[in-house]
Amino acid sequence: MGVSGALARLATRHAHLLVIEVPGHWLTRVAVERQAGVRGWRLAVSPADADILAVCGSPGPELALVVANLWEQLPGPRARIDVAAPELVAAALDQAEATLRDTPRQRRDSAGRDGPGRDEAPGGDAALAHGSEDRDGLEMDVLHVRLGPVLPDWPAGLVLRTHLHGDLIVEAQAGVVDVGQGGLAGGAPVVGGDTSGEARRPDAGELAAQRCDNVARLLALAGWSDAAGLARAIRDHLLIGERSAATTELARLRRRVRRSWLLRWSLRRVGLLPSDELARLGLAPNLTGDVWDRLNGMLDRATIAAGGPAGVAARGPAGVAAGGPTGVAAGVPVTPPAAVASVVSGWDVATARLIVASLDIAALGVVTDG
Amino acid sequence: MAEVPAAVSGGWAPVAAGLLGTLAVAAALLDGALAGRAAGVRSGMGRSAGEVARLLRQRRRTTVAADRLLWRIGGAGLLVMALMIVTVVPLGRWTLFDLDVGVVWVNALDVLAWAFVWLTGWGANSAYALVGGYRFLAHGLAYELPLMFALVAPAVAASSLRVGEVAAAQQGLWFVVWMPVAFVVYCLGVVAIAVWGPFSPALGRDVAGGVTAELSGVDRLLFLAGRYALLAAGAAFAVPMFLGGGAGPLLPAWAWVLVKATVLLAGLVWLRRRVPALRPDVFMEVGWLVLLPAVLLQDLLVAVVVIGG
Repeated sequence: MGVSGALARLATRHAHLLVIEVPGHWLTRVAVERQAGVRGWRLAVSPADADILAVCGSPGPELALVVANLWEQLPGPRARIDVAAPELVAAALDQAEATLRDTPRQRRDSAGRDGPGRDEAPGGDAALAHGSEDRDGLEMDVLHVRLGPVLPDWPAGLVLRTHLHGDLIVEAQAGVVDVGQGGLAGGAPVVGGDTSGEARRPDAGELAAQRCDNVARLLALAGWSDAAGLARAIRDHLLIGERSAATTELARLRRRVRRSWLLRWSLRRVGLLPSDELARLGLAPNLTGDVWDRLNGMLDRATIAAGGPAGVAARGPAGVAAGGPTGVAAGVPVTPPAAVASVVSGWDVATARLIVASLDIAALGVVTDG
Repeated sequence: MAEVPAAVSGGWAPVAAGLLGTLAVAAALLDGALAGRAAGVRSGMGRSAGEVARLLRQRRRTTVAADRLLWRIGGAGLLVMALMIVTVVPLGRWTLFDLDVGVVWVNALDVLAWAFVWLTGWGANSAYALVGGYRFLAHGLAYELPLMFALVAPAVAASSLRVGEVAAAQQGLWFVVWMPVAFVVYCLGVVAIAVWGPFSPALGRDVAGGVTAELSGVDRLLFLAGRYALLAAGAAFAVPMFLGGGAGPLLPAWAWVLVKATVLLAGLVWLRRRVPALRPDVFMEVGWLVLLPAVLLQDLLVAVVVIGG
């Protein structure tokens, strides 16, 4: 027991969490990420990589099914926690830690799972891979892959049903899980943002924090972990009200991003969206240009919002936040899912992920065209 | 003058494996410390130990209709590859395997990464892992030829494919000094076969960990250990090829080999967090339009110097 007990303690101190954000609970998700980081835990990228499944918010029926499926794919030892609000995070993480450390309980869990000792991941991705079709005279397998709703650095609730040739997205349809469970913004039903409390308007710090969160996601997807970590730290500063530390760090992050020729070279010419295209798709007009432009736009908007509401009116020149509806006064912009599906078609998965992250999604509109 | 190293008995193989293991562990510790520092956590060094404990305690898993055999071969292959590479790396006066075509041996082994990483991605029968596999192959198409021609330069300069003779040919002037392009391209190649840093899109977050998306427990541990071991083996092989082998003042030759390998390894580990990933499609252009011509020019220059001198 001594050795396995020590192993359990050491292992639990370095647990990996798979965090699932129910649309509308991004503040809870951020709190989980932050407090997990303080404990030295890390964020998992797939169920196979995870020890803890942390569900932020209460999922609707569709997402609940996805969560149950993912839970079966956790190798074990495993723990599941449901976190309803940011202030409940610490207790939930304690509970997860205790569950993971409880070796007899984990043994029972393992024995009770299907398969004689060895687990099968039911509903794995195998079901998604089938069929083959011709394309340009070449025999190509077509994979039908659902991107989302649970993927690292992915907008909460978004599902893209894609047809892949190799890793090229030839066709995509967008959906949002549990439509009808979302909140309201400007009278229209939306999914996302933060609706865990009252249907209230986010303050400037929160808006800035959300921009930083989206910047962190884009940087993480671009494979630049240090810069992504910095963006996350700024987000956390903003959320706990350390405005001056946040603005200093934000300026540093902007400089680092601008100076990285490797990043610029990697993001340039990707996902170019002219303004007429944006208007046609119903996307915010300040998303013009390529992913690189949009990354810098996000950083600019974060800087303006972090400057406080007064700063927006005084320091919002046309060149910086070119007429976008993202100012504090305009509230949260709503991204139509169909637009997301449209902008990723024709790109490979990696670039498509960068493009989606560059759209600075705060809330998703509800799909009306099915 | 440094003599050409002599082959020692195969009984020393565990020692070589132990040294490689030590280097790999050091790399993992450093990486953990850097990651911890970036995340503002104190126990950075403990990360790798914790990670090992976690993976040892975790159950293995499999997926529906996985090609179990090939999947496991791929996962364990990287570690085997690294061990086979160090067999021809001379440690001062000793080498395990004094092969007269040692450079070709390493080159043949590094191509195996294609098979092992791809099989790990393919065997799981999972879309994300498969996409990760494709990405590695795309990177491979761009880095492999430049890497091969980078290894040609020291071999031409030493007029030998025997690793020990290449090291001995650098008395006075290390190859890294007058063939920097080949050295840089070689380092890029090492980083690429270890699926490390800028070459990690095959394990990308955007595809849920790519090749490793479905690995858990000891299978994941083997794959991750294989990556560190490859990075260490690549750094060790750079010492006789570019960094003068065991040449150096005061310390004995074997110690210099370890010191140089450790310093290069630390540089490669540090690089990981500092730079964004190289998208395979973008790197393809660089590989063929910049690296390959550059390294061919380097080879030409080396050949002219050798013939002229």
